[in-house]
Amino acid sequence: MEKYEKLEKVGEGTYGKVYKAKEKATGQLVALKKTRLEMDEEGIPPTALREVSLLQMLSQSLYIVRLLSVEHVDKAMNKPLLYLVFEYLDTDLKKFIDSHRKGPNPTPLPPSLVQSFLFQLCKGVAHCHSHGVLHRDLKPQNLLLDQQKGILKIADLGLGRAFTVPLKSYTHEIVTLWYRAPEVLLGSTHYSTGVDMWSVGCIFAEMVRRQALFPGDSEFQQLLNIFRLLGTPSEEQWPGVTSLRDWHVYPRWEPQNLARAVPSLGPEGVDLLLKMLKYNPAERISAKAALDHPYFDSLDKSQF
Amino acid sequence: MEFDLEDPLGSSSSSSISKLFALESDHMPTYHHCFSFRCEAISLISQFLQLQFSCNLDPFVAYLAVNYLDRFVSRKEIEQGKPWLLRLIVISCLSLASKMNNIPFSLSDLQIEGCIFEAQSIQKMEFLILGALKWRMRSITPFSFLHFFISLAELELKDPSFKQALKHRASEIIFNAHYDIKFVGFKPSIVAASALISASHEVFPLQYSAVRASITACEYLHQETVSKCFNLMQEMEKIEAKESWFDYESSIISTEIPVSVLESNTKRRRI
Repeated sequence: MEKYEKLEKVGEGTYGKVYKAKEKATGQLVALKKTRLEMDEEGIPPTALREVSLLQMLSQSLYIVRLLSVEHVDKAMNKPLLYLVFEYLDTDLKKFIDSHRKGPNPTPLPPSLVQSFLFQLCKGVAHCHSHGVLHRDLKPQNLLLDQQKGILKIADLGLGRAFTVPLKSYTHEIVTLWYRAPEVLLGSTHYSTGVDMWSVGCIFAEMVRRQALFPGDSEFQQLLNIFRLLGTPSEEQWPGVTSLRDWHVYPRWEPQNLARAVPSLGPEGVDLLLKMLKYNPAERISAKAALDHPYFDSLDKSQF
Repeated sequence: MEFDLEDPLGSSSSSSISKLFALESDHMPTYHHCFSFRCEAISLISQFLQLQFSCNLDPFVAYLAVNYLDRFVSRKEIEQGKPWLLRLIVISCLSLASKMNNIPFSLSDLQIEGCIFEAQSIQKMEFLILGALKWRMRSITPFSFLHFFISLAELELKDPSFKQALKHRASEIIFNAHYDIKFVGFKPSIVAASALISASHEVFPLQYSAVRASITACEYLHQETVSKCFNLMQEMEKIEAKESWFDYESSIISTEIPVSVLESNTKRRRI
């Protein structure tokens, strides 16, 4: 690790602290992610080996944050540590949206930028899903931006099994529930790619609104937020919903007009958003299908 | 996420085929390294394979380990004249390969004479190998291309049992070729295509020319290289046949892994 000079702590990833650092030899900025690796008698743990090599493979996509190298630190007396070294990007979608809401001169995100970011997000998610990998924690903080080039990349990915998604983060900060799909909130254990598409929908709406669509502070409140806007789901709409582990009897809300929650979004955008926020995970649009949705017709796809 | 040699990218979509061809060179050794080092390493692995009933070493694990070994040795200078170093590298490659394949296997099973190392040393070597290979451990191998090339010859091989037989024989040839240094420089796709053509030559001589034409029509393949690899395979198989005739049931450990050992094991996996 002497190769890198730690500059500052830039965040709290789902799996641990993230530092901005500089590679001394080249001056290249990198993001260092420390993982706690439990070494056993038999060398590197098999799950960590498989997850990191999977991450290595996935990160070859332009829309996934690139894993540059993996550093192994083995100090006497201490547990061995594994650092993942990623390319460094200067901002993330959360900070970007905040700057458009809070700054001295708040302005909406340009619609063409929302369209471009959403397209790149769907590309990255489609890439993961085509390799059988779920992200499971997509949120604006995990989407890094190269502002100059207008590129969006997915971060914090692929470590789902070696390092299970915690309820509380490393520093006991509550992991956000705002982007969590209803089937996960209701305790379904056999969820699939739809969980990521729900998150993509929430992020899409948030780019347009500049504030979260479903800001809940507990799992129960989170569900109520969703039900108040989209209506309480029924068995007809979503077969099996009332048999999910954490289903209770909820007030029966009627669905509201979603377009009113995203007033600046055109009808095609609203249609795509509705398809991403379908209750029945089997009916939710896939990332690959989303790329062909008419909402993106006006986008110059040759640049991607 | 499991790792399957036949499907290293974890996807069966058609777009992944072009990715396989684009990425395969990242999973190859960069030059032919020391002949004697490779022979010794493979002979050690074949000793382990022959002990398979006691240590449960899967032939696919051995295959992957040799891929790691070739790539590692082509990227790192290895000090010659240190037999323990060779053994340590072989054991660490086997350990990584078995973890990637998720096949339970304990290092202590391999602790034969001269191969007893501290866990610490194996772990250090594992990380050295991982670094040299840039953690690209989901190797693209000839097995990754079998399904695709067989699908190209769909018309000639209507019967599923034909496909099964062809794949089985081609896999045997791929195993044999892997342990023969002459094939180290060939891309995995070339080895897969040549092995299938060789297998059809042996198993279905009537369909051979049609199968060969369908496979070599693939836009990603360099025809001349396929021919070259195919000819080498024919030679290899001839020598193999002769040797097995003369040395049948001989107890001499050859530098190549006998097909019979592999055969009993490959049947357990779906090929």
